[in-house]
Amino acid sequence: MSNPTTQKADAPEQAPPQAKPQVLEEDDEFEDFPVEDWPQEEAEQTNGSKANDGSEHLWEESWDDDDAAEDFSKQLKEELKKVEASA
Amino acid sequence: MGQTPVLDQFLGSLQELVQNRDGAKVQDFLQLEPPLSDIYQRMVSELRHHYAPGFKADTELLQRCEPLVPRSKGGSWTAFPTFVKLYLIFLRDMNTDNLLETYNQLKALLNQCVLALGDSQMGVVVLPTVLYLSKVLAKLAMGLDRRPDLIAHIRRMEGLAAQDESIEKVTLVEKSANVVREAFIKCLTDRTGTPGPTGKPEGKRIGIYLMANLCLKLLFQCGKLRNAEQMFASISAQSPPLAYFPASQRVTYLYYLGRYLFANNLFFPARIALQAAYDQCHRQAISQRRLILSYLIPCNIILGRFPSQALFQRPEAQGLAEHFQPLCRLIVRGDYLAFRQHLFLGSPTAQWFARKGILFTLRNRCETLVWRSFARKVFMYGGSYGGPQAQAQKGPPPVLNLKKLVVAIRWLQTQHASSGNGTANTMAASNLYGSQVVSEPTDLDYARLEGADGRASPATDQEILGKYGDFLAPDGFYTEEGRPQPNLPGQLVDGDPEENYGDYELNPYAYDFDDRTEIDASVMQEIESIFASLITQGLMGGYLLHREPRFAVPGAKIKGILPTGFPNVWQTISARESHDSSVPGWVQPRAPTVVGAAGGGRVINLAGARPVGLQ
Repeated sequence: MSNPTTQKADAPEQAPPQAKPQVLEEDDEFEDFPVEDWPQEEAEQTNGSKANDGSEHLWEESWDDDDAAEDFSKQLKEELKKVEASA
Repeated sequence: MGQTPVLDQFLGSLQELVQNRDGAKVQDFLQLEPPLSDIYQRMVSELRHHYAPGFKADTELLQRCEPLVPRSKGGSWTAFPTFVKLYLIFLRDMNTDNLLETYNQLKALLNQCVLALGDSQMGVVVLPTVLYLSKVLAKLAMGLDRRPDLIAHIRRMEGLAAQDESIEKVTLVEKSANVVREAFIKCLTDRTGTPGPTGKPEGKRIGIYLMANLCLKLLFQCGKLRNAEQMFASISAQSPPLAYFPASQRVTYLYYLGRYLFANNLFFPARIALQAAYDQCHRQAISQRRLILSYLIPCNIILGRFPSQALFQRPEAQGLAEHFQPLCRLIVRGDYLAFRQHLFLGSPTAQWFARKGILFTLRNRCETLVWRSFARKVFMYGGSYGGPQAQAQKGPPPVLNLKKLVVAIRWLQTQHASSGNGTANTMAASNLYGSQVVSEPTDLDYARLEGADGRASPATDQEILGKYGDFLAPDGFYTEEGRPQPNLPGQLVDGDPEENYGDYELNPYAYDFDDRTEIDASVMQEIESIFASLITQGLMGGYLLHREPRFAVPGAKIKGILPTGFPNVWQTISARESHDSSVPGWVQPRAPTVVGAAGGGRVINLAGARPVGLQ
């Protein structure tokens, strides 16, 4: 059965190693919110977003790279030209 | 009586609270997490003194608890006194030296409380208690899951084998999820008031998402996402709209729902759920917002939308750029070998993605986009479309000779090999069989095949039989007619290995390696299939010509050659998917409809209808 005295003595000794892995994994756990409910205004960003009508530009839809001067493109272009010349 | 003043007072007050149906206070009364306050300590010592463990004490305790239930109910709510009895026994016997036992007792206690929750009249009184116990149980199970060493000594004492440990430790969390799911079902199926998707969260239904969220947390922790499927289906069928529940529950639920959909490759609805979770999350809840973002971002990337600088500059996005920005850059660049290298299992980036559970999804889904960028660049710099004047007149459509792709792939492979950052991937050019474009690690079973002729390296027959005996000489096999046939031990079922197959070509990848054209033909096949797949997905616009392999882009005059041949990824996918804005598992408030109007979009359930003439 339980032995309150040894249990008390053991507890602080076990605490430190326990602290470390928990800190590492804390990041991955979706914590409970300290408040139950809030109005939508409190969910919206205050800085910046209001200035642009709340439609801050968060996602880039056009990201295709048309820059022929970029290193990878430049080399690829030269390589393809070489073949054209030799063909 | 009189010897246990604290217990008497405790039961008296509890009875009053039950009579007043004050669920919150009942929960507050049933404390069990150490350290217990002084008054509870005193009650525990009374229990230990007057009700020492044993059958007799248990019966007596139950008798003490029976008056807790209102007389008018005629004792019909018997689950509650039994629950309180278990609670008192739990307090009396709690032994934090044996956390495994504590876990089992706590689970039994919660089980009993869930039974009490099932009562149609009184059940709702214990809803806060069920939630509280579920949280304590979840915390303990997840704690033990992370620190199996805390109960390792108990397992050893109980003689549980070391190899069982991994199975058992997962089961603790899963077992907890199963109990919590029972509570969830009790909440969801409460018939008081107006139930169903048109109803309001009243009675036990206020607990639907509290219990669901806790259950989902546990299921995600133990990696049993499959088990969540039924929950989402039940919610879709029976829950009141999510919008009627408090923000904390909505955000948590949408986060888990989004992750579940993401894990099931349903990226479009996953994005809607995660975006809604992000939009509704309190702006100061940085840790939650960050977790939502770490799934919302990859979801958008897969759908062809990249996070902006503005997003990365938000406080909750701190540190996320270092993981996602290089990935986006590689997709834009189109260097598929660098992409594979980047997400190679050993790399630090890959480890971070793996911990989040998104590595394989990113690898598989983003590689499609990388190939699109690569093809686009080769088309830009190697395609023939005769300049802007030619486009205006009638003429052959712009084309890309796929031989240019072969050149580009060979060039890329040499680049990587010479830069020395070569994993097996860059060595694909010298593959003897399989892909000439990428290279996969050799299957262990084929690891001993050596040499271009693919013959096994020298090994004794004994060695080969020892390793492959179950395949070469099994205990039995099926004949050509499909009848099972026992086999003599050690007898080769496929006949004599020395038989001469010289007249047959047995190697499916039998290239003549002196003939480059043959190898290039195999590269070409791979390129054609990659292009065909991109065209099928709508990520490339045009058609393939096979005899002299080319990719042609017709009808490019209106939008331009590149936008036609390589349409915008996000616009393509969202145009295809957005016709259905509903997200499975997310109950939306119904648009008001005219009740009683004939037809009117009403769905008639024919599940119970029988064909004419049948009984």
